[in-house]
Amino acid sequence: MSQAVADRAENAVAYLKDKVTGIPAAAVVLGSGVSVLEGLVDSKSFPFLDVFGISPSVHGHSGNVTVGRLSEAEDAPLIAVFRGRFHLYEGHDWSVVTLAARVVALWGVKKLLLTNAAGGLNKDYHVGDLMVLTGYRDHLSPELAQTGLLSAIAKPTTKCSNALSDELLKVGEQLAKDDKEFRPLRQGTYCALAGPNYETMAEIEMLRRLKGDAVGMSTVPEMLAVEGTGTMAAAVSVITNVWREDEPMGGHEEVLEASKMASKRLDQLFRKVLG
Amino acid sequence: MSAKKLIDFTGQAKGFQKHDRFDDNVVNELRKDGAGGEVVVIDYAIGLSEPAIVSDHLNLTGSSPLCGPNNPIGERFPVVNDIYVCDDAKLPKGLQSLKKIVIAGLKDGVKTGEKELELIKSMGAEAFCKNVVHTMIVAAHAKKKVLAIVVPEGKTLSADLLAAIAELN
Repeated sequence: MSQAVADRAENAVAYLKDKVTGIPAAAVVLGSGVSVLEGLVDSKSFPFLDVFGISPSVHGHSGNVTVGRLSEAEDAPLIAVFRGRFHLYEGHDWSVVTLAARVVALWGVKKLLLTNAAGGLNKDYHVGDLMVLTGYRDHLSPELAQTGLLSAIAKPTTKCSNALSDELLKVGEQLAKDDKEFRPLRQGTYCALAGPNYETMAEIEMLRRLKGDAVGMSTVPEMLAVEGTGTMAAAVSVITNVWREDEPMGGHEEVLEASKMASKRLDQLFRKVLG
Repeated sequence: MSAKKLIDFTGQAKGFQKHDRFDDNVVNELRKDGAGGEVVVIDYAIGLSEPAIVSDHLNLTGSSPLCGPNNPIGERFPVVNDIYVCDDAKLPKGLQSLKKIVIAGLKDGVKTGEKELELIKSMGAEAFCKNVVHTMIVAAHAKKKVLAIVVPEGKTLSADLLAAIAELN
């Protein structure tokens, strides 16, 4: 990693420490159209451009950091919400794609919740389902752009369960028991591909053979970036479409619409887990 | 089918633009007349015994030619299904008998032996090639359909097949 890129993360942390009193208990990164944790108390918002020196270029990623307390309660935790992220398909390199996660770790935030909009590979899934990642497949790391994906598809799925993902599942189970509107959470394997084009049906079939449950274009870089730091990461996919041979595939607008529908349940889940 | 772009990576088809490999020249060719239309592409493939028509692909190159700022010719997130022309009703008669196959796109220079071919086959592809997949992705982004013909590496196209391909001109 170049000094300039390392400095960018350090500068971002210095910026946030200057503007925010205290270290957030948790950070949340929101993917395409996913909208949760609105109305944080005593919140402050900072555009990505001010924090990182760059902005995402994708519709649905507004690109700001909001820091505030989860509720009016005196002991409510301080939460940082990153609305938007950087992607490889935008032409950013790995160091930029992992910037927010590295800032979270450097800032000393202990919990990182990642979200993404994902296509459902698992035929039992429905649009609007929430899937807690218990495994992932990395098909987008930078070295794969040089070597191709043969080594990636030959590798087993990486397991990623931890105390935070266990907590998400436990709370989700309770919410589903208490509230019939709250769909039971899914748990499964997320396949990260570089994009930006959606997958062909043959690729969907390949990912199913690899036991993937959902597919998207993000999240894995951030999970890898906080490995070995003091930050524990867990991730939730919002299933925005389910690939089936007999249904036409939607585009980005469909992703945004489905994300909105599931955001309410995701908001409930996150507030319970972080509260 | 009225093909507008004729791109040949094997150097065998008359009237086609010859390219050694997929590169910016191919991208520019695919985009220079705007969105829409059709592309015929011919490439070598490994793992085949006879020429075939591509019905779908696995992009195993680890990259996409669409990474970077979006070219306004197409959407940021293009859907790339139903792009390949492989329905017999839409193919010239001389191509209808060719097998329709799923191919894998690999990066040029990647080591490929029996083990790699087995892995590719276990993922649902029958053969792999180096140029069709990226060509198709750029074409699909530009809302073009793609008729892709793959030829066993090093094999010469038969006179009948060349004649059928010439009809696409």
